[in-house]
Amino acid sequence: MTPLDPRLLRYARSARGYLALTVGLGVLTAGLVVAQALLLAHALGRAAHDGATLASLAPTIGWLAAVVVGRASLVAVQERFAHRAATRAVGELRAGVVGHAVALGPRWLATGRGPEVVTLATRGLDALEPYFVRYLPQLVLSATVTPATILVVLGLDWVSAAIVVGTLPLIPVFMVLIGRMTEGSSERGLRAMSRLGSQVLDLLAGLPTLRAFGRESGPAARVRALGDAHRRATMGTLRIAFLSGMVLELLTTLSVALVAVSIGLRLVGGDLSLETGLAVLVLAPEVYWPLRQVGAQFHASTDGVAAAQAAFAVLEAPVPATGTVPCPDLRDATLRLSGVTVRSSGGRTPDGLDLTLSPGHVTALVGPSGAGKTTTVEVLLGLLRPDEGAASLSVPGAEPVAVADLDPATYWPQVAWLPQRPVLEPGPLRTLVGGASDDERAAAAVRTGLDAVVAGLPDGWDTELGAGGAGLSVGQRQRVALTRALLSPAPLVVLDEPTAHLDAAGERVVLATVDAMRAAGRTVLLVAHRPSLVATADTVVTVAPPACGPEPVAAVPARGAR
Amino acid sequence: MTDAAAAPVTAPAPDERPPRGTLRRAVRMLGLDRRRVLLAVLTGTLALGCGVALAAVSAWLITRASQMPPVLQLSIATVAVRTFGIGRGVLRYLDRLVSHDVALRGMTNLRTTLYGRLAAGRSEATLRVRRGDLLARVGADVDAVGDVVVRGLLPAGVALLLGAGTVAAMAFFWPPAAAALAACLVLAGVGAPLLAARGARIAERRAASARADASAAALTALDDAGPLLVAGGVERRLRELRDADRRLARAVDSGAATSALAAGIGILATGLAATAALVTGIPAVRSGALAPVDLAVVVLTPLAAFEATGMLPAAAVAVQRSRAAAARILALLDSADAPAPVASVAPEGAAPAPVAATSEALAAAAAAGIDDAGIQARALACGWPGLSPVLRDVDLDVVPGRSVAVVGPSGAGKTTLLLTLAGLLPPAGGTLLLGGVEPAHLSPADRAGRVVVTTEDAHVFGTTVLENLRVARGDVTPEEAVAALAAAGLDGWLTALPDGLDTLLGPDARTVSGGERRRLLLARALLAPAPLLLVDEPAEHLDPDTADALVTSLLAGPAAPDGGRRGVVVVTHRLTPLAAADEVLWVESGRIVARGTHAELSAGLLDYREAVRRERVTADQRERA
Repeated sequence: MTPLDPRLLRYARSARGYLALTVGLGVLTAGLVVAQALLLAHALGRAAHDGATLASLAPTIGWLAAVVVGRASLVAVQERFAHRAATRAVGELRAGVVGHAVALGPRWLATGRGPEVVTLATRGLDALEPYFVRYLPQLVLSATVTPATILVVLGLDWVSAAIVVGTLPLIPVFMVLIGRMTEGSSERGLRAMSRLGSQVLDLLAGLPTLRAFGRESGPAARVRALGDAHRRATMGTLRIAFLSGMVLELLTTLSVALVAVSIGLRLVGGDLSLETGLAVLVLAPEVYWPLRQVGAQFHASTDGVAAAQAAFAVLEAPVPATGTVPCPDLRDATLRLSGVTVRSSGGRTPDGLDLTLSPGHVTALVGPSGAGKTTTVEVLLGLLRPDEGAASLSVPGAEPVAVADLDPATYWPQVAWLPQRPVLEPGPLRTLVGGASDDERAAAAVRTGLDAVVAGLPDGWDTELGAGGAGLSVGQRQRVALTRALLSPAPLVVLDEPTAHLDAAGERVVLATVDAMRAAGRTVLLVAHRPSLVATADTVVTVAPPACGPEPVAAVPARGAR
Repeated sequence: MTDAAAAPVTAPAPDERPPRGTLRRAVRMLGLDRRRVLLAVLTGTLALGCGVALAAVSAWLITRASQMPPVLQLSIATVAVRTFGIGRGVLRYLDRLVSHDVALRGMTNLRTTLYGRLAAGRSEATLRVRRGDLLARVGADVDAVGDVVVRGLLPAGVALLLGAGTVAAMAFFWPPAAAALAACLVLAGVGAPLLAARGARIAERRAASARADASAAALTALDDAGPLLVAGGVERRLRELRDADRRLARAVDSGAATSALAAGIGILATGLAATAALVTGIPAVRSGALAPVDLAVVVLTPLAAFEATGMLPAAAVAVQRSRAAAARILALLDSADAPAPVASVAPEGAAPAPVAATSEALAAAAAAGIDDAGIQARALACGWPGLSPVLRDVDLDVVPGRSVAVVGPSGAGKTTLLLTLAGLLPPAGGTLLLGGVEPAHLSPADRAGRVVVTTEDAHVFGTTVLENLRVARGDVTPEEAVAALAAAGLDGWLTALPDGLDTLLGPDARTVSGGERRRLLLARALLAPAPLLLVDEPAEHLDPDTADALVTSLLAGPAAPDGGRRGVVVVTHRLTPLAAADEVLWVESGRIVARGTHAELSAGLLDYREAVRRERVTADQRERA
């Protein structure tokens, strides 16, 4: 990206104030840098050349001290607000990215972007801190201090200014040249580096396994050999990577040296006063200082810049429009999929699926993993529009409505969905499970076997659960989620592999729960692996794997209507 | 992913300060080569020294030139100025190479040490660290310790040497200015880094929990986007995220004032040193104690002398962050080296088993007439050291040719039982003999020669299929490998692989499915030379028929390399195939609640019968369908 992407200011509002502050401080710093050089040169020149007394120079030295304190204060103020701005901007971007990614929906997250967004939201964006704290201020200084000092040098001594202005463009030219020359080899080096590095980690990660086979002593030599190879590869890359740093240093120090020599030679000729010479000498390194810092901080900032780019890419992905049709009461509504196909990386999953869900009826969705069972659920819930076919909802005496056109705010509250990994909010178990009264809750808990779990908890129903249900085993969490689904008055119930992580007794509990839901006239969809669960359904619908021929779908009544 | 009740991790909590000397211990483990370190400090000092010399000589050159001497007198200075100008860049390049080389060598040493000590230490130390944590410690944490060298140790050495050199050179011209410079260098090189580290520590301590909360909220929102949207929990997660980020900002703010002070001090010290040189130098010029040319040198040199100290505050912050990484590495090593907390074994104390005792113990066992190939457990308690046992009172004999199945609800301690029986966890009580010898008295090779365990989280290495199987035994031939894969039901999978046995598996086998991975691990176990195999859920993620066939053939006792039948202990959740087992253990609530043959348990145990019936009924149902 450009050194300062305007989108950063658009998406992270707190960056605006900070940038303004940084620019303000940058302008002040430029003034103080020039003042310090002139005051120092004046005091030194008068003392060394004219033998001025301390008393006569006292005001100059006083001002010099004040300028020094001023510069130190500016740096302190910059530092004071840089970290705050970085944290706030990262927070804003993080909330924006997470909110937008969730709005884009689970399907968007599932199509390969998910892990990237997770990395971005947990660690990636933190890399913006060095960008804000170190890189950005130097970037601003190179736009204020560098031109200001060049102008002052020009006013004092045009020859020195010519040397400086002459060398300045060489810096980017050489940097680009070296970058071009080394591009290929350093990429090769980086690949070798990361491969060797991951091989060492692989050996260490497998250590428990090697121990189980009594073969742990052999690979020690290999760890060292891989480490040495990794070092050689890394050094090869660094030898090239550091070249650009060397050119930068060489150009800047050499041009300062040239300025010094040229001033010296002209002083001998009497073409220049000592005071002017000293001022230029002090100013010359200041011209290059911000540029050198930008170069030095560039690598530290690239991760952050890349993270910001990735964040903008997420934030600019268009969110599909949500439906607006108010959802009818699902208690007497029929959901119908006809010829539904969703294209994914795994092929057509599902492929031309027909399915009907009606109240008081239990339907099981079976099929091997990867065939599109969960995708089917997402289509039914309106989280995803099918690529072909239609998902519609009909009530007697009304036109069918496409599920995707339903207003989620009126549809989703009528749905109880138990996903494969139940989502449990932190808080007391009582609130989490829900239910109108203690009696109702207790009765539901007996059905799902949660009563035994509650009896074993120190505070019973008042037990505080951590995020994600921390403190409970996976099976216990499943029971909590089941009880909640049972107590929920929602007419449409979707249970995705509710017997996963459960033993035989737990499985019985789930079957009893499903029977209770059917008896209550609710519409139940089961995504099932285990045959016992399939057996309890009124209708079994098979989602065939993508490779299984042209007629992939069969809807078979399992044991007739009950 | 991370929902399993994780074994307690031994790293200190983030708000706890690691003990003093942590970093020193970790850095010592890098085994740095003294000569290389010296070389790095020297080149670094010379590089920055060129910068200081450039400033000093230019100041001299200009002031002397203003006195209009013959040009020849200036020629040495003009050459020196250009030389220093070139020297700085070149030496700095060399310095960066040398110092990175030193650090990388150290990191290789540390990783090798880490591997060696974990391999030789107590096995549960590596077992109880989550895989991701282990990777983070040998990866990022070792990098962080190496970083201490490049960003902390060497720059500090350079700053010290350069500071001392500059002050000494200045003292040659004008001692009072040298004294002021020394004081300012200490202020910038010691005071500022201390303050910077303090500011970072304050912020970090308060920020750690907020940072973790922000990550957790973001993670839940993204992982469970669909369910949250439907259940209406998205707003709440986003609110939590914003709250956590606000707390993070406040925490960062709390350390900002200290950091700001540290940053200001560096600039202040530079200006003060120059001003002090002016104030002390001007009267000295008047009185003739200091030449006017030298005044320029002592006033302008300090402006270049603070480059080395200027890097130190950032270095101090980096070192501060590395300290936590060092503490995590040391905690892992200490847990591997520590003596076993349960001293149920050797009467001479809890010292790690001397391998030399093996032959003695073996002889004693042979004399007592104990079968040298079996597992014998009496009143065995199984559990992780430091936690209460999850399973007690296990009496079990496994000999070659005998098959035992372990079933029961999840979380009953079945995997812990396998690890204990394999001698990888010390018994939490009771006695365990492997071939008549307590496992603590066996060398790892001897132990693995008797019994081999395959847990569900066993590692699949990022190498070929064949090399992955050779983990069991180094001399596995391709024919043996094909046979073992076929025995594990993977013959179809193997023929579909692009390069057969030479196909590369991805890092941690993300390219193979869950069911394939389990069977690959089983094939590996089948190739081990041990007469006893302990296998954890080999049939998970498989359809019922395949699963049952696999468990049945495993319980039939695979052939051992010497031709006899092996003894097996299989943990499984499928009951139908257990007719093939000699004995079935039903484990629940921390004990063996029932044991016997499949027929006996079906007849006597209601729960068991019911579970078997259900598996059958549903299988029939499926066939009819």
